[in-house]
Amino acid sequence: MSETVPRPPRIILEEEAGPARLDHAWTEGTDPVVVPPAGFSTLSLLAIGISALIFGFSALAAGNYVSEQFTRAPWLGWATLLVALGGFGTVGWAVVREFRAVFRLREVDAARAAFARGDFASAKAHVLAWATPIPLAAAALPALREAPDLPALRALLEAGPLAALDADARALGRIAAMQGFAATAISPSPSLDALVVGWRGLRLVRQVAALHGMRPGIAATASLLRRAAFDAATVAATEVATDTAVRAIVTNPLIGHVVGEAATGAVAARRLITLARATAAACRIVPRDIA
Amino acid sequence: MALFPDPVRLLGEAASRSAEAALALAGRERVRLAVTGLSRAGKTVFLTSLVANLVAAGAGRRTLPALEATSGRLRRARAIPPGVEATPRFDAEAHLAALAAHPPEWPARTDDLSTLSLALTLRRHGIYGQLLPDREVTLDLLDYPGEWLLDLPMFAQDFAAWSDETLSRLSKGIRAAPAAEFLAFARSLPANAPAEDSLARRGHALYRRFLLAARDELGLRFLQPGRFLNPGPAGDAPLLWFFPLPAAARNSPLGELLERRHGAYLRDQRDRFLDPVFRRFDRQVVLVDVLGSLHAGREAFEDTAEALAAISATLRYGRGWLDLLTGGGIGRVAFAATKADHVPEVSRDSLSSLLSDLVEAPRRRAEIAGASVSVHSVAAIRCTEEATALHDGRPSPAVRGILLENGRWATVDPGLVPARRPPESFWNAPYFQMPVFRPPGLDPDGRGGVPHLGLDGLLAGLLGDAL
Repeated sequence: MSETVPRPPRIILEEEAGPARLDHAWTEGTDPVVVPPAGFSTLSLLAIGISALIFGFSALAAGNYVSEQFTRAPWLGWATLLVALGGFGTVGWAVVREFRAVFRLREVDAARAAFARGDFASAKAHVLAWATPIPLAAAALPALREAPDLPALRALLEAGPLAALDADARALGRIAAMQGFAATAISPSPSLDALVVGWRGLRLVRQVAALHGMRPGIAATASLLRRAAFDAATVAATEVATDTAVRAIVTNPLIGHVVGEAATGAVAARRLITLARATAAACRIVPRDIA
Repeated sequence: MALFPDPVRLLGEAASRSAEAALALAGRERVRLAVTGLSRAGKTVFLTSLVANLVAAGAGRRTLPALEATSGRLRRARAIPPGVEATPRFDAEAHLAALAAHPPEWPARTDDLSTLSLALTLRRHGIYGQLLPDREVTLDLLDYPGEWLLDLPMFAQDFAAWSDETLSRLSKGIRAAPAAEFLAFARSLPANAPAEDSLARRGHALYRRFLLAARDELGLRFLQPGRFLNPGPAGDAPLLWFFPLPAAARNSPLGELLERRHGAYLRDQRDRFLDPVFRRFDRQVVLVDVLGSLHAGREAFEDTAEALAAISATLRYGRGWLDLLTGGGIGRVAFAATKADHVPEVSRDSLSSLLSDLVEAPRRRAEIAGASVSVHSVAAIRCTEEATALHDGRPSPAVRGILLENGRWATVDPGLVPARRPPESFWNAPYFQMPVFRPPGLDPDGRGGVPHLGLDGLLAGLLGDAL
């Protein structure tokens, strides 16, 4: 550094700024990264193509068949048309129901996102739309409509409908656990055990989802199962210790001699309770707070 | 040393640390961040910006890009709702609202302790991490009057040692003139001065007057005791009525009274400030207004360096087994030169280097103890933009912002920022008071975070491993 006097600090005054503030365009610069949707995956494209071929060609074949029948006899044509419409109508209704169930899950996601970004208006709209068809939430609707801010809305949800839904989900889990335990105790083969517990687990997921106002079909059940396994992992974490303890007790050689094969049933029953709680957490419109 | 914990406290801390280690294994970690800084270093603004930007990052905004955890893994950040704590709550929302209001207000001088805990929900690393539950890291933050920090070195001294050191410092340099009246009073006390309260209060009042003048007019920071300058919510009390006493009068009844009060003051500070909140931190950020002390002249600059060295000499660094067990050691330290937006971009590296040189002793001490140390230049809230000023017809880098006092745009050329302790010739320049800028346009609820400079890099160095 030179030994000369350094450049002194200076202030150069300019014009009045009025009430203006410096704008760093901060908000625009920090907007969340929006990952463009990747479009349909290869598997989805395959599924769409195969479905289009199956449904399209079967619809075309049915149309041809109906017109042929009309050429044979009008009454035969009408009867064939009725059967075709009934069949395709039922399939269509099933598809619509499936999509509605998936969209209902999306609504839960949208509400969670609104809560996370602190968007009160959007969160309230989603909560009201979610609560309307749920009988357990109906009583809380007037209070939810009057909620003044986001913390109040969250508190009302937690104290009212969500507490009731959680309690009912736990009760369903206990019932499923008892049934699963009883079924494995009397089942003649271990492979049948797995089948029974698996079926009871799927039914449990659908029951808990129905509590939350959903009527999940195959796609929505699969989506729920995935969410229960991944998104609601915090619930599973709290269960890990209990599950390990149950396993440690029932797999103890001494106790094993006493309870015999029922030991595996106890582990399975414990898992059904965990599944009920994880599904309830996945369906919750507000993620469970970690205290 | 007076700061060494007694066995009972050691056991208590070990027990609570073990419980925390068990929680950490279950994915519930607790990170305690001590935001340390001398008065007016910008602790409150730093904490406000830290909270706002972490909460915004938790909502998906890219407010802290250098902090790896915020690129997708930070799922949520929220202030933990108040419980039944006795310590006041750090009100980040109110500070932010005041900064965003018309007219804006910078936070007033902090006059009490306040704490805030943030809950950060983080997705785990790796494929197996996706199968495990999210981690929740609780980040404990503490705000306190910076003046109280200078009480830490006092715990290592008795009344005689403290008096000798303080009086010696008072009689030198720029302190001598404002301290003259007090020094004259103290030196005039006879060897058998009676334990008369009027004498004690007179001496205390004169000493306190000197401290206030040294802080507000001279920009000095190494001023003890801290509660003389900032009494806090307890206000004035008899235990504050003491002052450094020359050796000649120390064995008098008055000397004994002052010594008793000095001891009582330290016990009170230990009970109120040190033990309950300040001891148990495992990360530390030391904020230093390097630019302010540089512009306030050589003595203010050296005083800041001395204060920082004295404070850091009292803190326990490192991650030995005893520290891990008791939670007494600070594992990561970040030194930060604040108000980096007051210098143009080209000078910010010099600002960091200057700070690095300034804190050489404490930095080395922390490194030898095994702590990880980093040095940064930050602006918790960026109030300026880059500009150019003409100096003798030649352009020089500068910053431009709106002055808080008169609402006018101003281009400020902060002059040369030396990269090391400046040579003699540097101090020939006239002293300069850096103006206060108006805060930039802010979202009053802080949802979008707060514009900053270098806060993300600092947090990456300080908390990156924990997140």
